[in-house]
Amino acid sequence: MLLELNNASRIIKSGGKKITLLDDINLTVEEGEFISLMGPSGSGKSTLLNCIGMLDNFTEGNYQFLDELVEQMKEKQRAKLYKEYIGFVFQAYHLIDELTVYENIETPLLYKSIKSSERKALVGDILDRFNIVGKKDLFPTQLSGGQQQLVGIARALIGKPKLILADEPTGNLNSKQSEEIMQLFSTLNKEGVTIIQATHSETNASYGSRIINLLDGSIVTD
Amino acid sequence: MIRNYFKIAWRNLVKHKVFSLINVIGLTIGLSASFVIGLMIYYDATFDTFHKDGDRIYRVVSDFYSPEGTFHNSGVTVALEDAIQDNSNFEAVTGFYIERPNVVENREADINVKWPKNVVFTDEDYFDIFQYNFLAGNKETALSNPNNVILTESRAAQYFPKLSPDAVVGKILVYNDSLNVKVTGIVENFKERTDVIFEEFISAPTLLNTRLRNDFITKNWNSTNSSSQLFVKVNSTANFENIQEEFDALATKHLDEYSRNHGQSRKFKLQPLSDIHFNEDYGIYDWDQGQASKSLLTNLGLIAIFLLVLGCINFINLNTAQASQRAKEIGIRKTLGSSRKQLISQFMGETFLLVLFSALLSLVLSNYLIKAFSDFVPKDLDINLFMSPLIIVSLIVLLLIVTFLSGFYPALILSKFNTVSVLKNHLAVGQNKVKLRKFLTVFQFTIAQVFIIATLLVGRQINFLLSKDMGFKTEAVVTVYSPRGERGLEKKERFLQKLKTIPQIKQLSLGGAPPASFSSNTSTTTYNNGEKEIQSDLQFVFGDTNYATLYELELLSGRTHLNDTIKELVINEAARKIYGFKTPEEAIGKAIDFGDYKVPIVGVMANFHQRSLKTEIKPMALRGDWDRGQFSRFWAAHIAFQNTNADNLKASLSKIESAYGEVYTEIEDYRMDFMDETIARFYNREKKVSKLLNWATGLSILISCLGLLGLVIYTTNRRVKEIGVRKVLGASLFEINTLLSKEFLVLVGIAFIIASPLAWYGINNWLQNFTYKTSMSFWVFIVSGVAMIFFALLVISIKTLQAANTNPVNSLRSE
Repeated sequence: MLLELNNASRIIKSGGKKITLLDDINLTVEEGEFISLMGPSGSGKSTLLNCIGMLDNFTEGNYQFLDELVEQMKEKQRAKLYKEYIGFVFQAYHLIDELTVYENIETPLLYKSIKSSERKALVGDILDRFNIVGKKDLFPTQLSGGQQQLVGIARALIGKPKLILADEPTGNLNSKQSEEIMQLFSTLNKEGVTIIQATHSETNASYGSRIINLLDGSIVTD
Repeated sequence: MIRNYFKIAWRNLVKHKVFSLINVIGLTIGLSASFVIGLMIYYDATFDTFHKDGDRIYRVVSDFYSPEGTFHNSGVTVALEDAIQDNSNFEAVTGFYIERPNVVENREADINVKWPKNVVFTDEDYFDIFQYNFLAGNKETALSNPNNVILTESRAAQYFPKLSPDAVVGKILVYNDSLNVKVTGIVENFKERTDVIFEEFISAPTLLNTRLRNDFITKNWNSTNSSSQLFVKVNSTANFENIQEEFDALATKHLDEYSRNHGQSRKFKLQPLSDIHFNEDYGIYDWDQGQASKSLLTNLGLIAIFLLVLGCINFINLNTAQASQRAKEIGIRKTLGSSRKQLISQFMGETFLLVLFSALLSLVLSNYLIKAFSDFVPKDLDINLFMSPLIIVSLIVLLLIVTFLSGFYPALILSKFNTVSVLKNHLAVGQNKVKLRKFLTVFQFTIAQVFIIATLLVGRQINFLLSKDMGFKTEAVVTVYSPRGERGLEKKERFLQKLKTIPQIKQLSLGGAPPASFSSNTSTTTYNNGEKEIQSDLQFVFGDTNYATLYELELLSGRTHLNDTIKELVINEAARKIYGFKTPEEAIGKAIDFGDYKVPIVGVMANFHQRSLKTEIKPMALRGDWDRGQFSRFWAAHIAFQNTNADNLKASLSKIESAYGEVYTEIEDYRMDFMDETIARFYNREKKVSKLLNWATGLSILISCLGLLGLVIYTTNRRVKEIGVRKVLGASLFEINTLLSKEFLVLVGIAFIIASPLAWYGINNWLQNFTYKTSMSFWVFIVSGVAMIFFALLVISIKTLQAANTNPVNSLRSE
C-alpha cells in the first residue's frame, strides 16, 4: 500500500462561511496503480491532488503515506518525504522561465543535494530517453506546448519518485500531443511508477487502471 | 546550487533592466558616499595612533576665565615646565618652543630657505615622549649643548641635498644670518599620519642666543604664548586628580594682582594626544590643514547613512512590488522540494550580487568623488587606504549589512507565498505590503524634502551674509601686506610712494588690518564718568589719516585723528554705548584710560562689521600708530581703485606687484587680498555646508524619484487593463494621467507635511550660530514643496502618459 485516506476532508473558511472542498474521502492507493480522477470543474480533483501531494493539508481525517501519518509529521519530515517520493506534472507546465531545459530538469536534484557528476549523468539519461537532448539549452518560451510538458514530466521523473501527480497534464495540448503524453504515462506506469491524474477527458482516463468520479468534494464512484 | 542561484540572479537582473538599473544606481550612490565618508572618518580617526604609550601622552594647555568669557590657548607659560618637572606622576616632561626663523642657510652649498616651517627649540626629553628612529647621531647627547640641531630626513634633504645622514651630521646651518648651529642628528620622519609635524629640533639652550632670550631668563608666569608648548607622559599609575590639584595650586599661586581684581583666572589642563586632531579650541600645528571637525564628520556620516537607507528602501520597494512576477518561480521551486530557508538564501544571494556589483562601481566612483570633494577630503587621503585591513573588514561588514537591510524583507515576503494559489494564479499580494511600500516612499520623500528646504534656507542665509552691507567700502579695495619680517617704516612708505604713480589707484592708506579681518587687537580700557568706572575691551583698527576716507567709514561727529602718531581715538557707536555717552557729540573730548596713559576721543563713527555676521559688533576704535617707537602697527597698504574694469584691474595689480618687487627683496612673501574675498572667506564653512547640502539634496531627490519611477512603472503595468477599459469608456488622456498620478502625489504631499517642521527645527538651530540672520520666510517651504511635487510629477508622467497613450485594443486583446 502506497497511501491511504480515511475520512479525509478539507474545509476552509471564506468570508465567514464554511466551504467544504473535500468531504469524507476514503481511498487506498496501491503501488503500481494508474488512477484517473474525473469530475466537473470544482468537484475537488485538483484539491485532492494537492492534498495528496502535501501542498495543501486535509483539515480532518487521516492521511497515511508509506505507513506514516502525514498530519503528525513535522514540516521538515514532510518536505523530505515528498522530495523523495512525489513528482508533479501541471496543466500549465510551470517551468521556470529563467532556466534552460537542462537547468529546469536539474533543479529537483539540487534540492536533494545530489553531487554534480551524478546530476549530469541523471539529467543526460532522461534527456536521452525523452529525445530532447537537442533542446537542452533552450528556454521554455522557445518550445511548443507538447515539448514543454515533456520537459515538465522529465523534471517530475528525475528524482525517481514512486508517485506522480498530474493535474490535467494534457489540458493545454492538441490531441496528437495528448496521445504522446498519455502513451508516455502508460509506459512509466508499466515500469512501476504509481500515477494519479486529474482529467476531463474520457480518452485519457481510459489509459488508467482505475477511474474515480468526484462530485462536490465527494467520491461518487470508484 | 550556488552557481544555479547566481545564474538565475543574473538572468533576472538582465530581464528587468529598468528595475535593476534603479536598484544599482540607488545602492551605488549610497555606497559611494559611505565609502568616501568612511575613508575620511578612518583617516581622521587614525591620527597619532602609532606612538608608543600614546594613551599616556598629554599636552598641557591653558584655559583663561574672565567675565567676558573663556579663552583657550594651546600653549602654557614657559615657567610651568620647571614647576612640574619633579611631579612623580609624570614619566617625562618636555617643553618646546615653536619659532619660524626668517632664513636658514647652508653656506657651503649656497642654499638658503626662507621662513621654514615646523622648527622648534626643545631638549632630549622630547625624544623620550615621541619615539623617533635615529638615522644618525646620539639621542642622549644630540641636544645637550647650545647651537645643536636635529633634522628630520626630509628637512635634511632640503638643506643638504644628496648627502647621507651620516655625512650631514657635523655640518653647519646659519639661522637668521648670524646664528651658527651644528647638525648633531638625523631622525626618520614619522611614516604614519600625525599632527606632530616638526622637522627641525634646535637644542633648548640655543634660545638664549635668540630674540627670545629675555623670555626664557625671566620665565614670566603671566605671559602665555601658544608657541610655548608642553607635553607630558604620565605614569601608568598616575593620579589625575592629584595632577589637576597641583596645576590648580600653581595657577592660583601665580595669579597676578590685576587678574585677581578683575575676576580673571587660569587653569592648566591635560589634553590627550588623541584629542589634538579634533579639538578646535586648541588647534593643531599645521594651519594649512583644516582641523578635523567631529561635527562635520558626524554630519557627513549621517548623510552617508541617509543615502544608503534611501538606496535600500528603493530595493525593498521595487522587489516587493515585483514579487508577483516572481511568484510563479517560487511556487514551482516549492513543489520541486525547495524549503523556505533555501528560497530566502536564494533571494539574499541575488541581493548580495547586486550589492556587490554596486560596490565595485562605487569603488571606481570613489576615486572621482575624492577629487570632486577636495574641499572636504584631507589632501593626502587617497584610494590606497582601501588596502588597510580594518577598512577591508568594515567594507565586507557594510556590504553584508546593506544586503541584509535591503534583501531580507523582500526575501521573507517572496518565500511566504502559498504554493497552490500561486500556481493557480489566484495570487493576492496582500494589501498590507502596499501600505509598507507607501510608508517607505513617504520616508524617502521626507528625507529628500528636508534636504531641499535646508538647501534653500542655507543658501538664502549665505546670500544674506555675503550681500549684507558691512558698513564700509568692500568693492575694488585690496590690501597688500608687508613682508613678515619687515619691522621698519621706511620701506613701507617708499612702497606707498611708488604706488602713488599708478594712475588707476584712487586712494592709498597705510595701516594695520582692513576693517574686517581674521586678526584682532584688543585692549582693556576704562572710562571714569565721575560717578563710576566703566571697564570695557576695546578693539582697534590701525590706520593713517586716509584710512577712514578710503574705507568710507561714516563719521557721526568730530573728526579723525590728525596724524599717524598722535594719541587720539575714533570710537564706534558700540563703544559709545558701552562707555555710556548718550550722543556722539557727548563723547568728543572725553578721555579713555589705557592704564599707563589716557587718550581723548576725537570722533565717533558708525558701526561696521569687524568680523563675520556670526558675531556682534564689538566696541572698537580707529587709531594711529603711536607705539611706533617700539614697533609699528602699520604693516599693510590699503589700495582703492578708480573702477573695477577687469582689464584695468589686472594691469593695476601687476603694477602693484612690480612696485612691491622694487621695494622689497622678499618677493615670495607677496600677499594681497581683495576685501570682498576676505569677507567671503569668513563664510568658508557655511559654503562647505551649502555645497554638501546641494549634493545631498540632488542625490536624495535622484534616488527617491528613481524609486518612485519604479513603483509607478509597476503599478501602471498592473493597471493596463483598467486603463484600457477606461479609455474605451471615453476617459481623456488627462483624466487617466490624473487618476494614475494622484495616489503618488498624495504620498509626496504627506512627506512634505512631515518634512516641513523637521527642516524648520534643524535650520532654526543652525541659524542660532549667526547674530544676523534672514527670516525663515514660509514661501521657501512652499517653493520647495512645489519643486518636489514638480519633480515627482515629471517622473510619474514619464510612465503614466505612455500607459495612457497605448491603444486599448492592445491591452485588452491579450485577455
